[in-house]
Amino acid sequence: MEDKLNNRHALVLSKEYPQANFTWIISLIISMVFLVNSYSFKTGEMNTFVFAIFIAYLATTFLQLFITRKMKRDLLDTGAIQKKARRLGYIQLISLVTGNIFAAAFAFNLINERKTPEYTFAVYMFLTQLFVIAISAMNIFKPYVTDTFPLAMVVLLIFAAFHVAVLIIVAKMVGDVKAPRSMAIVAILVLLTALTGNLFALLLGWSLLLKSMSNDRSRIMKWNVMWEKITRNSTATLGMFFIILMLTISVVSRFTFDYALAVENDYSHILQPPSLAYPFGTDNFGRDVFSRIIFGARISLLVGFASTAIPVIIGGFLGGIAGYYSTRTDNVIMRLLDVLYAIPGILLAIAIIAAFGANTTNLIIALSVGAIPTYARTMRANVLMVSNYDFVDSARALGTSDMSIIFKQVVPNSLAPMIVKSTLTIGGAVIATSSLSYLGLGVEPHIPEWGNILRVGSTYLESHSYLAIFPGLAIILLVLSFNFLGDGLRDALDPRLD
Amino acid sequence: MGKKLLTIMLALVVVLAGCVKTKSDVSGEKDSGDTKGSGGSGKVTIELLGTSAGEDDMNIVRDQLIKNGFDVKLNIQPDYGSFKAQRDAGNFDIALSSWTTVTGNPDYAVRSLFKSDGDNSDINDSEVDALIEKASTETPDEYKETYKQLEQRIVGEKAYIAPLYISFKAQGVNKDVLNPDTVRLAKSRAIAWETIDFNDASKRDTDALITQQAIGSLTSLDPIKGNDGSINTLNTNMYVRLVNLTDDDQVVSDGSLSYNYAIGDGNSDYYFLLRDDINFAAVADGKAVDTGERVGADDVVFSLNRAKNKDAVPDHRTYSLHESIKDVEIVTDIAELQDAKQSGVEGSVLEALELGLETDITELVGEKTAADSNAGKYQVIKVTTNEPFPQVLNYLAHQSAGIVSKKQVGSINTYDVAAFDVNKDIPYGDQRTVTEGATYKNHLYASGPYILVQKNDYQADFAKNPAYRADSEFEPKISNVTVRFIEDSDSALSALRNGEIHLFNGVPETKYELVENDDKLVLQKNDSNAVTYLLFNAVDREVAKNENLRKAVLYSINQDEFRNFYHGNKKKAYSTVSPLVETGNELIADPAKVKEYIAE
Repeated sequence: MEDKLNNRHALVLSKEYPQANFTWIISLIISMVFLVNSYSFKTGEMNTFVFAIFIAYLATTFLQLFITRKMKRDLLDTGAIQKKARRLGYIQLISLVTGNIFAAAFAFNLINERKTPEYTFAVYMFLTQLFVIAISAMNIFKPYVTDTFPLAMVVLLIFAAFHVAVLIIVAKMVGDVKAPRSMAIVAILVLLTALTGNLFALLLGWSLLLKSMSNDRSRIMKWNVMWEKITRNSTATLGMFFIILMLTISVVSRFTFDYALAVENDYSHILQPPSLAYPFGTDNFGRDVFSRIIFGARISLLVGFASTAIPVIIGGFLGGIAGYYSTRTDNVIMRLLDVLYAIPGILLAIAIIAAFGANTTNLIIALSVGAIPTYARTMRANVLMVSNYDFVDSARALGTSDMSIIFKQVVPNSLAPMIVKSTLTIGGAVIATSSLSYLGLGVEPHIPEWGNILRVGSTYLESHSYLAIFPGLAIILLVLSFNFLGDGLRDALDPRLD
Repeated sequence: MGKKLLTIMLALVVVLAGCVKTKSDVSGEKDSGDTKGSGGSGKVTIELLGTSAGEDDMNIVRDQLIKNGFDVKLNIQPDYGSFKAQRDAGNFDIALSSWTTVTGNPDYAVRSLFKSDGDNSDINDSEVDALIEKASTETPDEYKETYKQLEQRIVGEKAYIAPLYISFKAQGVNKDVLNPDTVRLAKSRAIAWETIDFNDASKRDTDALITQQAIGSLTSLDPIKGNDGSINTLNTNMYVRLVNLTDDDQVVSDGSLSYNYAIGDGNSDYYFLLRDDINFAAVADGKAVDTGERVGADDVVFSLNRAKNKDAVPDHRTYSLHESIKDVEIVTDIAELQDAKQSGVEGSVLEALELGLETDITELVGEKTAADSNAGKYQVIKVTTNEPFPQVLNYLAHQSAGIVSKKQVGSINTYDVAAFDVNKDIPYGDQRTVTEGATYKNHLYASGPYILVQKNDYQADFAKNPAYRADSEFEPKISNVTVRFIEDSDSALSALRNGEIHLFNGVPETKYELVENDDKLVLQKNDSNAVTYLLFNAVDREVAKNENLRKAVLYSINQDEFRNFYHGNKKKAYSTVSPLVETGNELIADPAKVKEYIAE
């Protein structure tokens, strides 16, 4: 009886079991979406290609269901997942072929019993690379590809092969707190591949360097705990995956996609339905919507990050000063910021755009200015708290200058809430960018930006709905990803949740 | 190991490069040309001004210019008002403009746009002036050649404009509500509301006809003070004219103030026999009432004299249309009509005017109250032109020649024209007087089938003139008309489809299918005189001085691509005259010429 109860605890505590459930449910939902889309209600015809995808996803779902059952039985019977169940993960890896990221991520997770943050990074690094290759490879169906395409693809493939090798090495060699010294070389090579925008490589490289070079156990433990908290949250990890995928694709698209297809009008291919050459169809000017969305990611991410980074820096600086110094400085800065805060953000943005014209720089400024006060408030509140801590008093007693105390002691210890807040607001900035473009106030209409693409689509909702669905999905996914990641970061960084 | 890896890599590159065609494989020559162009920083930047409604056209122009080696800066204004402000300030190299010849005659299509003293013109070219004057005195057979020369001068030689396309007119009608046979779609003139009827005649007095227009800020309800999309349809239905245009641009007396008209020998004298069954309507307590004042010859003389007089009102926008009129007078001597011969045909003017009358003319009267057609007492107006100018009839059919009340306008416009102060003086037809709120004080006197009762930012409400040809076939069928102001054509289309409006004039070309496939709608299509073109800045900027630059832009324009974008629902244009006169001129895109002109 006692045993059974313990095993029930094992079921609840297991990190893999909830993910297994999540995976089969999501797979089922996606396969249903494909099922509905495989049948045309207008003509009564079956689309065999979509139907095949449906079958593949359904198979994945059933396999996943089977694995989940087995895991539950294992956990209830023995309190741990058995080798046999874990081996099933290798079969589930096949789902990667269908692009089922949920099942693939789960499978990788299941295979390896001993989970280090490095292993997770390596897995996602590889998955990102694989997806980037798959997305870029769609270009071979086009009438022509950009000149750098073959070389870029080869480089990407080599990177992917290297990533697989790293994945295996990491799984075998890296321990919880220690890695062999020789891993430092691998780490540097991995760091180099992060140049493609694959930030998982950056994280992995950093992490490996830390473990192979540093002897500071507590630092490593802290790092481990933080990432464990984030990676345990599968939605946060998937959110991070999608953001980094978009980031990588916007870097890589420079070499693998042809910008002309996204901006130059082609009147012989107007309003084509989705096909292999045009995966998301073409718009009313004959431009490839797929390429436009890929290039649009660049602007959305750029504006999203820039219009968050600027207020974080300015607001953080002002908030830090206001929080540290006396009432008068505090009052002057904060009351001025209150004035700014009183103006509705989107209205201010529209006014700025209307006055200075619509382009990317103005858009970033417009979205940044309105967000400064909220960051200043967050920073000020944290600084007020942190500046009363003992280590600040000691620094003061040692005669350190104010500026040095603020920026070396206080601010670094007040950053966590700022990071969480900014992650959550990047999503808002992405939406604001798209909304302004949708209203015709953002970037110029021919520039591929998700709001612009959606705007064209909105006038064809009835006759060519794919023009609106795909950019809409892209916006939803990116914003959702930022929100999930923000939630995950909050759980990991918030000291109150410790 | 390293060697092996390198070999594999090279093999992969070869294989990959073998399967796919790269961009330079496909268009090697062209591509290298492009990179050469983009390498140099000496690209000419062209600023393209337009409204957000013309965004698609602007994108096509931008694309064509960029492909021909220009740099393009877009200046997109949200509405026509800010567009016009930018255009007046000269903040453009090329402006996306459009022109609709609502009078249906070619003179109107060029006079105000290209003549040195035209009210929409910055062009100063004596050769153009001379050609316009010459063509205006000619008959259709003769002027074909003159207009051809004019077009070549304006477009081919000097490139003052770059033509894009001629639009079709398309109108969506809700056939569940309206009887589509009663809804006219004319090539030139604005739609006439009085003929429109519901399927269910019993609804005429209870329901309103709901239609739409894009611009909600009305320039002026004084017919001579405006000539744009905000008031053309409204003033056409509020003021009767001496003659009208048919759907294919023939001048007729149907639905006008005249029974008949005649052209005197020599093409300088024009006679109009006036009706006596129309009274002015006014608005009292939110309803249209009969003022009891008849629309007569003195009102016609007054209206036409102020139409041609530049100083009759401040902001006179239409005098150039009527500058050909020398004199307007009331004919009281019947002998003059008997003696005057008709132009081109046998018979006296009197015979022409009496055609089809129930009671022949026995007496001509000067006082409008004395006229009584049943007793043979009529009023006749004679319009004399400076030069022989047959196209004057088209101008008399234009809304700016609408007949206003001499008494009412005289009593409102008491200000001194030279010292007019827009903040203090309220002229006749000012939209403030019909806008709901504190400034509301409707002083309109309508001679046409409908009168504007009031408006706000969303709609304008019209009521039928109770004394407009009552009990005849021209009596307005539907009592109330509401005009919704919906700027965006896609929103207007949605409004039509969900039944919010009954009639939508201006269905976008790319959406014809939607209307055709909708069970409750019917799409009416006709040719139109609307030409869209690029206007070059003629005042400052490089393009004003540099003719070669203008020509380089001109030959970058490929009209076929516009037609493709609009699914073939556009026609090629050469100038604003193109829809009216077949001159045979055609603009053919020529990248070689563009390079040549840029080099110069």
